[in-house]
Amino acid sequence: MSEHHITPLRTYLIIAATLLFLSGVTVWVSYVDLGALNIVVAMLVATLKASLVAFFFMHLLWDDKKNLTMFLMSLMFFGIFVTITLLDTEFRGDLGLNPETKDPINKRAAFYDTLPLTDTHGHPVDEHSDDHHEDKDHH
Amino acid sequence: MSENTKQNYLNHPKGIMSWLMTLDHKRIGLMYLFSGILFFFLGGLIALVMRFELAAPGNDIISNDVYNNAYTLHGAIMIFLFIIPAIPGALGNILLPLMVGAKDVAFPRLNLASFYIYSFGALFAMYTIINGGVDTGWTFYTPYSTQSTSNVVPMTLGIFIIGFSSILTGLNFIATIHKMRIPGLTWYKLPLFVWALYGTSLVQITATPVLAITMVLLMLERFLGIGIFDPALGGDPVLYQHFFWFYSHPAVYIMILPAFGIISEIIPVHSRKKIWGYKFIAYSTLSIAFIGFLVWGHHMFTSGQSVFSQIVFSFITYFVGIPTGVKIFSWILTMYKGQVSFTPPMMYALSFLFLFTIGGLTGIFLGAVALDIHLHDTYFVVAHFHYVMQGGTIVAFLGGLHHWWPKSFGVMYNQTVANIAALGVFIGFNGTFFPQFLLGLRGMPRRYATYDEQFVELHSYSTFWSGILGISIFIAVMNLFWSFIKKNKVDPGSNPWGGMTLEWTHTSSPPHPHNFEEDPVLQHGPYDYDKVIVEKTYKK
Repeated sequence: MSEHHITPLRTYLIIAATLLFLSGVTVWVSYVDLGALNIVVAMLVATLKASLVAFFFMHLLWDDKKNLTMFLMSLMFFGIFVTITLLDTEFRGDLGLNPETKDPINKRAAFYDTLPLTDTHGHPVDEHSDDHHEDKDHH
Repeated sequence: MSENTKQNYLNHPKGIMSWLMTLDHKRIGLMYLFSGILFFFLGGLIALVMRFELAAPGNDIISNDVYNNAYTLHGAIMIFLFIIPAIPGALGNILLPLMVGAKDVAFPRLNLASFYIYSFGALFAMYTIINGGVDTGWTFYTPYSTQSTSNVVPMTLGIFIIGFSSILTGLNFIATIHKMRIPGLTWYKLPLFVWALYGTSLVQITATPVLAITMVLLMLERFLGIGIFDPALGGDPVLYQHFFWFYSHPAVYIMILPAFGIISEIIPVHSRKKIWGYKFIAYSTLSIAFIGFLVWGHHMFTSGQSVFSQIVFSFITYFVGIPTGVKIFSWILTMYKGQVSFTPPMMYALSFLFLFTIGGLTGIFLGAVALDIHLHDTYFVVAHFHYVMQGGTIVAFLGGLHHWWPKSFGVMYNQTVANIAALGVFIGFNGTFFPQFLLGLRGMPRRYATYDEQFVELHSYSTFWSGILGISIFIAVMNLFWSFIKKNKVDPGSNPWGGMTLEWTHTSSPPHPHNFEEDPVLQHGPYDYDKVIVEKTYKK
C-alpha cells in the first residue's frame, strides 16, 4: 500500500469542500459567545482541518505508519505543553482549592474591559477606580 | 599496500573546495569538530576571566556590566555553539554511518546545509560580541530581555537559526538509523552510541521548534508590542519561562544523551567485557528522552508558578533518576570482573562516572521544591549544572575524542601525557566546582561580579583550581593535535583498543572516502567479548 497510492479526484474535492465548510464554522463560531469554550472549539476545528490536510493531501493515511507515529507524537507533545502549563496558570496563587483566591491570571485576561491601565511596574495609571491597589499607593 | 588503501577521506579528494562543498559525513563532522573546539576555547577563556574576577571581592579586573556580558556569552556560546552541536554534529556525524555500515548519512546535502546553517547562526552570535555583548543571561528571561538595550535581537536570531541546524541533523540521523543499516544489523545489535543518537535526535526534532517559537514571540513583543509576556499588555512573564524551559530542559538531554552513548562504547571496549543490560541501557535512553519533556517546571520553582504545578513537576522530576540510575549501575556492572585498562578514554569514562553521579544526585536535591526554594539561583545550582554539563558531557566528549582519534585521523597521541591531562581535568574540575556547592549552601548568589568577605576563601580555591582545569584541558587538546605534527601514524588496519563495532573491524584508519572498501558483513554483536576474541592491534 505504501507505494504510490493514487487518490481519486473525488476524494480531494470532498476534502477541499470539508475544509471550506470548516473555515465557515470557525468564522461562525467566533460570533457565538461560548465563554472559555470559544478557544477550545477554535482549536479543535483547526486541528481537524490540519489533520485532514496531513492525512489526505499529504497522504499520511496511506504512508508508512512510522510517519503517522511522528505526527501523533508532535500532537502529544503539544498536548503535554499546553496541559502542564495550564496547571500553572489555572491554579496560580494557591493550591487551586479555594475559589475565592483562584485565578489572578484569568482576571488579567479580561483586563481590557474590567481593569484600569497599569504602567510597566503594574501600578495603576489612574488610581481612582482601583481599590485592589490601595496599599501600593502609600509608597 | 594497494593504491586504494592509501586513499582516505582526509587526502582524497584534495583542495579547499573539496572540503567546503564536501558531502562526506566524516569531513562535515570534522568541520563541526574544529568549529566546536574553537567555541569551546572562546567560552572557556570567558569563564577564566570571570573566575579571576571572582578571585577576590570587588571589581578587580572587569566592571559589573562587563561581568553581566561575560556570563551571558559564556553560557550562550558553551550551550548553543559548542555542547549542543558538538557531540551529535562532530562525533555523531563521523561515526553514525560507520557504525551502521552505511556509505553516508541518509541526506548528505542536508547534512552540509545544516553545517552552514550552524555557521550562519554562529556569525550572528559573534556579531553580538563585537557589537558590545548581551547582558540578559543565556536564558533571556522576560521582562528584562524585552527591555534591555544590549544585543538581545542578534543573539536570539543566531540561536533561532542554529536551532534549524539542530533539527535537520536530528532528522538526518533518524532517517539514517531507520533506513541505512546493513542487513542483519537489527535494533538490538546497534552500538549503544547509535541508540543514544537516536534518542537525542528525537528530542532535537520535537523540542527545538519550541525554542524557535519562543524566540519569535520575544521579538514580536519587542518590535510590535504584542502582549505575550508583558502583563501591562495582557501577557504573562512566567509564560516565557514555560516556553523557554519546555525546550531547554529537553535540551539538557540533547547535551547529555550522546555523552551516555560515548560512555556505553568506551566502558565495554576498555574493560573487554560484554555490556551489562544492553536493552536496559537502550530503553533508558528513550525513557530519559520522554521524561525530559515532563519536568521543565523544576527550573521555575521560585518564578511564582502555582503550588499545584510545583508539586507535579517536583514529583515527576524524581523519575528521571530511575533510567539514569539504570545506566550508571549497568556501566559499573560492565566493569565488574572485566579487564579494565587505564587508557586515556577509560580515564575520562571513570571521571565521568564520578562527576556525573555527583551532578545527577545534586539534581535530585534541586528537584525537591522545599530545598530548591533555598538553593535557587545560588552557586549550588552553578556547581550542579557544571558537574552535569562539564563533568558529564565535556568529559565524555574528551573521552570520545581520545577513543576515536586513531580511527578518525590514523594517528596516535602520547598516551602518558593524555592520562596526566585527564587526571588534571578530574582534579581541577572538582577543585573548581566542589567549593561552589559549599558557596551555594552558604548563600552566595549566582551572577554577581563581587561578594561578601565570608566567601573569599572558597572563591579563591575555586579560582586557583579553575586555572589547573583550564591548563589541563589545553594540554589534553594540544596533545591530540601534537599527534598530527609528530606524525605518529597507526597502521591503517589497526584496532588499538580492540573494539568490536563496525568502525573498528571493517574500516581502515582513517576510513576510506566511501567508508568501506567492500560491503561489510556483520559477524558478531557490538559487545560480544564473551563469544569472540578481538585482538588489540596497534602498530606504528
